[in-house]
Amino acid sequence: MGWLTRYIEIHSPPMPRKFRAESFAVNSPPPVARPKIAAVVTLYHKYSHAQHIVDRFLYGYGWNGGHHKPPMELVSMYVDQRPAGELSASRFQEFPALRMAHTIADALTLGSGKLAVDGVLLIGEHGVYPKNEKGQTQYPRHEFFTQIVDVFKKSGRSVPVFNDKHLSWNWNWAREMVDTSRALRFPLMAGSSLPVTRRLPEVDFPFGGEAGEVLSIGYGNVDSYDFHVLETIQCMVERRKGGESGVAAIQAIRGDEVWRRMQAGSWQAGGWDPKLFDACVCRSIRLESARQSYSDVFPTPRDVRKLVKTPVAYRIEYTDGLKATMLLLNGLVTDMTFAARMQPSGEYMSCLMYLPHREVCNFFSPLVNQVETLFLTGKSPRPIERTLLTTGLTAAGVESLWNGQQRITTPHLAVRYQVDHESAYWRT
Amino acid sequence: MLTRREFLGTTSAAVALAGLRKGSAAASAQRKRIALISTVWFYQSHTQHIGDRFLVGYPHQGAWHRPEMDVVAAYVDQKPAGDLSGERARSFGFKVYPTIPEALCCGGEKLAVDAVLIIGEHGNYLKNEKGQILYPRYDFFKKCVAVFERSGRAVPVYNDKHLSFSFAKAKEMVADSKRLGFPMLAGSSLPVTWRLPELELPLDCHIEDALMVGVGSSDPMDYHALEAMQCIVERRNGGETGTKSVQLIEGDAVWKAGEEGRWSKALLSAALSRSDLLLGKTLEDARPQDLVGGGVLPKIVPHPAAYFIERRDGLRTTLLMLNGAVADYTFACRLKGSDEILSTQFFLTPTPNVTYSASLGSKIEQMFATGQAPYPVERTLSVCGMLESCLDSKLRGHERLATPHLDVAYRAPRESQFCRA
Repeated sequence: MGWLTRYIEIHSPPMPRKFRAESFAVNSPPPVARPKIAAVVTLYHKYSHAQHIVDRFLYGYGWNGGHHKPPMELVSMYVDQRPAGELSASRFQEFPALRMAHTIADALTLGSGKLAVDGVLLIGEHGVYPKNEKGQTQYPRHEFFTQIVDVFKKSGRSVPVFNDKHLSWNWNWAREMVDTSRALRFPLMAGSSLPVTRRLPEVDFPFGGEAGEVLSIGYGNVDSYDFHVLETIQCMVERRKGGESGVAAIQAIRGDEVWRRMQAGSWQAGGWDPKLFDACVCRSIRLESARQSYSDVFPTPRDVRKLVKTPVAYRIEYTDGLKATMLLLNGLVTDMTFAARMQPSGEYMSCLMYLPHREVCNFFSPLVNQVETLFLTGKSPRPIERTLLTTGLTAAGVESLWNGQQRITTPHLAVRYQVDHESAYWRT
Repeated sequence: MLTRREFLGTTSAAVALAGLRKGSAAASAQRKRIALISTVWFYQSHTQHIGDRFLVGYPHQGAWHRPEMDVVAAYVDQKPAGDLSGERARSFGFKVYPTIPEALCCGGEKLAVDAVLIIGEHGNYLKNEKGQILYPRYDFFKKCVAVFERSGRAVPVYNDKHLSFSFAKAKEMVADSKRLGFPMLAGSSLPVTWRLPELELPLDCHIEDALMVGVGSSDPMDYHALEAMQCIVERRNGGETGTKSVQLIEGDAVWKAGEEGRWSKALLSAALSRSDLLLGKTLEDARPQDLVGGGVLPKIVPHPAAYFIERRDGLRTTLLMLNGAVADYTFACRLKGSDEILSTQFFLTPTPNVTYSASLGSKIEQMFATGQAPYPVERTLSVCGMLESCLDSKLRGHERLATPHLDVAYRAPRESQFCRA
């Protein structure tokens, strides 16, 4: 596929040069004609990530003008929580060949005592899990990953793993997951649909281009949808001149302080370029109207303040000087948009990351298609470093809010990587 | 009540616009004056969606665009509870007149506007035996034409959706615009909205077969589907040549026709693969489905309809109305000499914003500003005719009808007109 991860350099502590060199050559297990896949999920109810992703392996999905059935077999599934109304029972019934695994190890070994699948889906989103004092839901992705890796180690063999969304709520665990995949030489892919879903219009950040400032508006909550918006930013700006070199500092702001920042009128004054904000608003197709009986009207700053009760802003300072603002504006929009001010031209580019929002949620289709590529080729079509960085940004945002909305420096987020020029978003 | 000043508020675009207005009387004089002629103006009506674009602006290419033209007069045929015309008139400083001529003349004797928006959709009007709602678009239009003739001057007219339920009336409307030499644009948002993916056929291509999937009731929604198909197939070699025959069939005959190869299952499969709004079991548990290969269509579509449109150059095209299967509009075709099936979705962006009406508003504004219609009104005329004849076919026991009167030939615009920026 289109990109090559050239190197990863995670500071704190700096990694030995040899490790970086090795990471050029992620192990590619010999491709299997029709791979057997195990799914390890937290919960399988209607609209859960597991339902959307695993269902595409079971039923196929619309792709490139046809109904596409992934050329692989979903052979087993472990479901951590099965409350009333969940759907895995009906799926096991409808697909008798699908093994109902009672442990993660069993899902991977199929009762043989040894790894017996060619790829693993790890989907740890949704379900009832404890929250910590910072408000992070402690989805057991790292725990599931560790159990998967235990089977790999015992079997002396590893296979590709896809981890849905960010790697973990805990940065150290996330880094450990990436390190482990490199040590055991199996490809690890992670993240969500945002980098690959359709865009309106069909545009990408110019490869090798330079931006002075970027901004993305989304909705949802901290420690959940913020990840999607951060990923939106990251899949764009990683294409800039010099590639990705990581993030030096972040500040998360919540409440009325966000409005003071909005009024500031520029990044330098503590806010953001209002033209970036306007561009995002004008790309939204699910924009709340502040005026009764008007269905689509441009919101004044006063309207924005009226519509949004609890705004959240993340100010992100990249190590190479790029500035990014992520806004969660519940009440104003229910979609995710991106805008960049390019330099030296000063021109603006912007788009909507389109998420078809009704039942079938087809934005999962391009994600699943990338996962298929991972399983078929043994090479991840997206850089794990992107997800590592956005995982770290998600956790750092929570940390900043927890620390009184202080700006915090992030030397551990000096994640460096370079993507290829080929765009990966869905436009076929 | 909102004032225009409040609307302009403190946004950057608004400040720039206010400056322009204050700064130059000449600039003000150059702003086009629009008369809006509507059946009814309520929340989420076509008049609200399209008319408001000329009052408050609209999103366009990543910025909020405010047309440099003003609605100065309106006529609204019906004012039930929920009527917004009074509030809009007060907020934006125009007058709602009791008659169409008075609106076009702004209360004077002669035409006093530079453009006319006719939006004759929604409202309480009779239906005929074909099931067509008798919206008074023709009557509205003729009243405008009478003012043009009396004033010795004609201005651009946009007519929302099809020109009339009657092809004969529609033809007369187009003839009037040619006779008096004023630009005319008509039709709906489907041809100009986003396509997922961005499919456009090469101009002068050779089409082997084309199929459209639509949903909703007749005659409002089948019009949209036929128009969507038309804006793609009109790009074929030789352009549109006119409609030779039509046939509308319903019920099990539709599935039987599919088995007999009268419409292509492969094209249907491709079209439905573009749907983002699958119904049936997807509603229950959100699963993706292969509606064609899985053989479930007859179970979930109790009242299918197929509209067969045969063109004078031999091209056969099909519209399938499949209520119960999907809730969006998709298209597939195959070019001659190619095995590849091309397909797309005409993306109707969600309510209440329906930003697709901004795409349409932009085309209307373009015509008002330049005096040039960005695409030919003959497209709309052609679709008026095929729809009316299809409904005739339905009324006459679903028989095939030769349509020598549907002799509307035209060429597609060279440039694609759908939203991509």
